[in-house]
Amino acid sequence: MNVSNSRTIAVDRDIQLDRKREAAELRNSLTARGTLVVNLVSSPGSGKTSLLEATARHWKQKWRMAVLVGDIATERDAERLEPLVPVKQLTTGGACHLEIGLVKRGLDALPREDFEFLFIENIGNLVCPASHDLAEHRRVVLISTTEGDDKPAKYPKMFRTSDAMLITKTDLLPHVPFSTDAVIADAKLVHDEITALPVCSLTGEGIDQWCRWLEQQRAAIIPSESHR
Amino acid sequence: MHEVSLVRSLIQQVETIATDNGGSKVTEVRVLIGPLSGVEPMLVRSAFDQLAPTSQIADAKLRIDCTELEAICRDCGESFIVKSYRFQCSGCQSPSVRITSGDEFRLVSLVVEDDPKACLNKVSTK
Repeated sequence: MNVSNSRTIAVDRDIQLDRKREAAELRNSLTARGTLVVNLVSSPGSGKTSLLEATARHWKQKWRMAVLVGDIATERDAERLEPLVPVKQLTTGGACHLEIGLVKRGLDALPREDFEFLFIENIGNLVCPASHDLAEHRRVVLISTTEGDDKPAKYPKMFRTSDAMLITKTDLLPHVPFSTDAVIADAKLVHDEITALPVCSLTGEGIDQWCRWLEQQRAAIIPSESHR
Repeated sequence: MHEVSLVRSLIQQVETIATDNGGSKVTEVRVLIGPLSGVEPMLVRSAFDQLAPTSQIADAKLRIDCTELEAICRDCGESFIVKSYRFQCSGCQSPSVRITSGDEFRLVSLVVEDDPKACLNKVSTK
């Protein structure tokens, strides 16, 4: 005779709870160190690395800035940024998104210095990275003028969880059927409080406003004794 | 796809909970998935089918419950179902809304079987 006791164990737990806690702890410790963490997300080719180059050039020595770059393969993005800022490449070898464990290892590999700004350049992907907290204070989604102005509603979780949307490659506007007003309206239907900033890393248009937005975010989040 | 990474973590959590609760065999894992969770139920199932057979919960069946995407209006207080990811109050059209359900990927419960041989031994020693 087979006697077996079957019982239900109630759990009711967020499957990502441990990772979220880990991210929250890291975020708190970076806040205490005076570092604002910005997670840059977008499709491949929207201009994340170019934006970081333009940001570094704009600020020059005004702020200490470091970058963690995520890619499936190669160190090309890190090589572009190396002359400008401390940078570490995070290579996933196939994973379509960055996770907190890899970010921590990248942080440990950066020079031991309290940066005012840490940028995480995520894997080019508007889907999976939306679900992974990398200890950022702010998430910024890039959408370029060659991608189509109807994208925000197609990627609701990404736009819903982003604090700002940068419309990149604005120098191409005369040549593409892209409406800045339309993409902003679409994004606001998904996330009414998202900040929209048009930029062009090549010409420098909008970079000043982008950097000022970053400074405002840092001032709002980092305790005042960490401010210069 | 990131479902594989998340389901791997799910299986590890189930194994730990089952062991901590003295269960010997997990026969069912029940999860809740919302439309804004970032995971696709079909891909969760296929990741589970791929990973479970070589884990400690090889006999477990996965049960997936789905929630709706619901929100509450910050202006008029109306609760509504969000349609087509348009976050706009169905009553007053305000875009200022807070999600109340639909972004979950939760482990709800597991069903475990205790070792039948242990039960038989108890009976036969009386």
